Amino acid sequence: MAETKSEVLQGTLDLMVLKTLQALGPLHGYGIARRIEQISGQVLLLNQGTIYASLVRLLQKGWITAAWGTSDNNRKAKFYSLTGNGRKQLREETENWERIAAVMGRVLQL
Amino acid sequence: MRRLERDFAEELESHAVMLPEEYLQRGLAPEQARREAMLRLGGMAQLRESYREQRGLPLLDRIRQDLRYALRMFRKSPGFTLFAGAALALGIGGTSAVFNIADAVLLRPLPYREPSRLVMLWQDDTAYGFPRNNVSPVAFELWQKRNQAFQGVAALTHTSFNLLGQGAPEYLHADTVTANFFSVLGVMPALGRAFTADDGRPGAPPAAVLSYGLWVRRFGAQPQVVGQRLLLNGAKYTVAGVMPREFQFLAPDVDLWVPAQWTSDYIEARKTDHFLTVVARLRAGISAQRAGVAMSLLGRQLATADMSDLTAVVVPLREQVAGDVRPALLVLLGAVALLLLIACANIANLLLARGSARTAELAVRLALGASRKRVIEQMLAESLLLSCAGGVVGLGLAVLATGFLGQLIPPGISEGGAPSVNGPLLIFAAGVSIATGILFGTLPAWRGAKVELVTSLKQGGGRSGVGAGGQRVRGVLVVTEVALAVVLLAGATLMIRSFGKLYHQDPGFRAEHVLTLQTRLQYPKYQSMARRSEFYREVLQRVESLPGVVAAGYTTYLPLADEGGGSLVTVENHPVDPRHLLIANVRVVSPDYFRAVGMTLRRGRLLDRSDGADSLKVAVINQNMARAYWPGENPLGRRFKRGLPQLDSSWYTVAGVVADMRQGGMDVPVRPEAYFSFEQADFFPPDSLAVRTTRDPLSVTEEVRRQIWAVDREEPVAAVMPLQEMVDRSVAPARLQTGLLGGFAAIALLLAALGIYAVLSFLVAQRTQELGLRLALGARPAQVLRTVMAQGLKLYLLGLAIGIAAALALSRFLTHLLFGVSAADPLSYATVIVLMASVAVLACYLPARRAMRFDPMAALRYE
Repeated sequence: MAETKSEVLQGTLDLMVLKTLQALGPLHGYGIARRIEQISGQVLLLNQGTIYASLVRLLQKGWITAAWGTSDNNRKAKFYSLTGNGRKQLREETENWERIAAVMGRVLQL
Repeated sequence: MRRLERDFAEELESHAVMLPEEYLQRGLAPEQARREAMLRLGGMAQLRESYREQRGLPLLDRIRQDLRYALRMFRKSPGFTLFAGAALALGIGGTSAVFNIADAVLLRPLPYREPSRLVMLWQDDTAYGFPRNNVSPVAFELWQKRNQAFQGVAALTHTSFNLLGQGAPEYLHADTVTANFFSVLGVMPALGRAFTADDGRPGAPPAAVLSYGLWVRRFGAQPQVVGQRLLLNGAKYTVAGVMPREFQFLAPDVDLWVPAQWTSDYIEARKTDHFLTVVARLRAGISAQRAGVAMSLLGRQLATADMSDLTAVVVPLREQVAGDVRPALLVLLGAVALLLLIACANIANLLLARGSARTAELAVRLALGASRKRVIEQMLAESLLLSCAGGVVGLGLAVLATGFLGQLIPPGISEGGAPSVNGPLLIFAAGVSIATGILFGTLPAWRGAKVELVTSLKQGGGRSGVGAGGQRVRGVLVVTEVALAVVLLAGATLMIRSFGKLYHQDPGFRAEHVLTLQTRLQYPKYQSMARRSEFYREVLQRVESLPGVVAAGYTTYLPLADEGGGSLVTVENHPVDPRHLLIANVRVVSPDYFRAVGMTLRRGRLLDRSDGADSLKVAVINQNMARAYWPGENPLGRRFKRGLPQLDSSWYTVAGVVADMRQGGMDVPVRPEAYFSFEQADFFPPDSLAVRTTRDPLSVTEEVRRQIWAVDREEPVAAVMPLQEMVDRSVAPARLQTGLLGGFAAIALLLAALGIYAVLSFLVAQRTQELGLRLALGARPAQVLRTVMAQGLKLYLLGLAIGIAAALALSRFLTHLLFGVSAADPLSYATVIVLMASVAVLACYLPARRAMRFDPMAALRYE
């Protein structure tokens, strides 16, 4: 069964969350959402709250873990970080996308 | 669960606090900052919902939710629920009931130690027409001494005793067994002891082991019975022990066991008498097959000039006991499984129809964020709830039916193992319920979840329903149903015709108004032939003079009670072919026996009173024997004798030929049979009396008994039964099987008809607008009728074709069970086609008629 549009978007959002965590280190939900907004605008995130569905998915798959901590302005917040499996998944997905991009590039140059 | 939600709420709150700070930094007022933040965060309720959805409920909550939802759906459509529940109850109940019987007969262990290691040994007398013959004592001894394959070989033979003293004389069924019998079987007595080697020594004081039933019946279940003396046939026996209640071996009515005390003279004297039943226990590590090969080799080694048939045929005990019934049971199991499949197809069809009516509801649920997986889960839960509810009711039905179905269990399986509610049955019923639920629920659930949100919401609900794909699936289901029903119908019709032929054939005797009973003459009192003849003459004279008695006759064995009594026969002037020795049934009778039992004379004359001890020795033979021994010639006046030519026995002249009579059973092929007068034959003395009456046979029982006791007060009268009942008993299993198969087929037919009806009704509802338009534009109602019916009949014809082909292919499995009817019997198949056609036409006509009656205006407005 082919993926529906929403499932593709879900997958991309998840990937971005992983990437963000890799780039910026352990971060809370607000931080991740803000970063993704900055990069992709409203495309992936309807509103900041939709990040949480993604975070739950990633938690269920074991690619990230969560722990309560304190933010820079001394607020209590839940911090997420990559697991070993998460890092591996990120690496594989990145390679995938880069391969597709390369092929597309060649095709479009024909 | 609550904890997780609180956790998330906290997280959202902290998010909601951090977010406005961005705006504050940019210089917005706190109020405005917060408002902007909330917008960017998103609706709290929705967030919580999607969080919950993503997280998923723990399993138990999900199940509870699903069940509550399912119950609500069922309450909304009670008609469907009742119908589906009933169909499932019948299907699952029927399957479980038949499984229970099959389990009792084929799977449940027999009540002996390690029963799978027990085998029966038969003598291979294929040359004489007995591939599994009873065993002669010489063969038994040789096998016992010289075998390598068994750790114990025991033998038994049926006998009987008249028990005297302590009350009325009673006729007891008994088995004479070798001393190792109980230890070979591995059973311990409930009271006292079994036999030891000492008991089997010739001349040892005779012991007896009682059956549980006899102990309770005759001895009031007193433990002091051990050591008591019994008077059996005039000799004193000491009670050694009592067997447990569930114990039986092959015959359920054995009251007593006595040890065999055979001298070598006895064995030599009876060396050509095949009267033993032999059971053996395999040595560890040796299979029945290997034992068979070993015994075959041994047989060849042991063969001598006059004993060439010493090969043992090894038959596992289970097969011996259940072998006859196995094919019938498997057919029944197959039939009821087909019925269940038809019910599943029916319900799947109905669920699909309901599913397409529910697209609106499903679409809304999906739009609100339910995952497809959840929807599928929920619909499957509905199906499982339905199937398990049906299963529970079905189990109840099965339990009710087991008593009735117990008739199918062959007598070798003990009473203690009678079918009842037990572990395997419950597990089976549960397993079938769940499997059924998944079988009919998966397809509708899957299709239901495939609903495309936008399109279905646009179409405004369920009227238009799912498109062409759904139609095709439903069509396939109906075709399957029809095909399966046809297969079942074909099988049932064949069986019904077969049973009809079995029951209505001419058995060679007339069973109405005949009473039968047994008077086993005691030895040594009736040792001399003169004494016996006197007894018979007196009893017959007295009984025949009773009012209401037309004729009375004695015989060795009654019709349908073929318990042996066969002899080698030598025909005068015919050379003996050692590869084809002639064996005929021998019956010693009184002259009026033929009239008492209603046999028909074909040539010559019957026996009469003039055939006395001093007249020419004559015999009457049956047509089978006449054809077999004197083919193409007139047998009257020809002579034959018992035994091989060198045996010093009398020659008998054939005086008459009677029509063949069923001997072993209504479907057992007839064998040659010869009838001798008791005045002229000293062998196989008759024990069975047949009395033909003008009124109900049982009504003369008391008077006949009194007459017999007037001749000999100590003669027990046993096995009182009308001959008709013997006939009915011999066909009872076949009748039950046929009845069951017929019942299943009828239900299958009904379900298939309902299937066609339902699909066609749905179709008509779907095409309401189109058909209404046609009518409005001037089409004749008859044309509309034809169009709709054509659709339905197309499905039916396809199903019929597939079904007939499948039935023809599968019916060869029925050939064992059919009597006088071939597996491709054209009349049966024609009946099936006609029956199915009429049902299908009716099922198509009703919805079509509704379409025909559409008010065009109403139909056009129909949304």
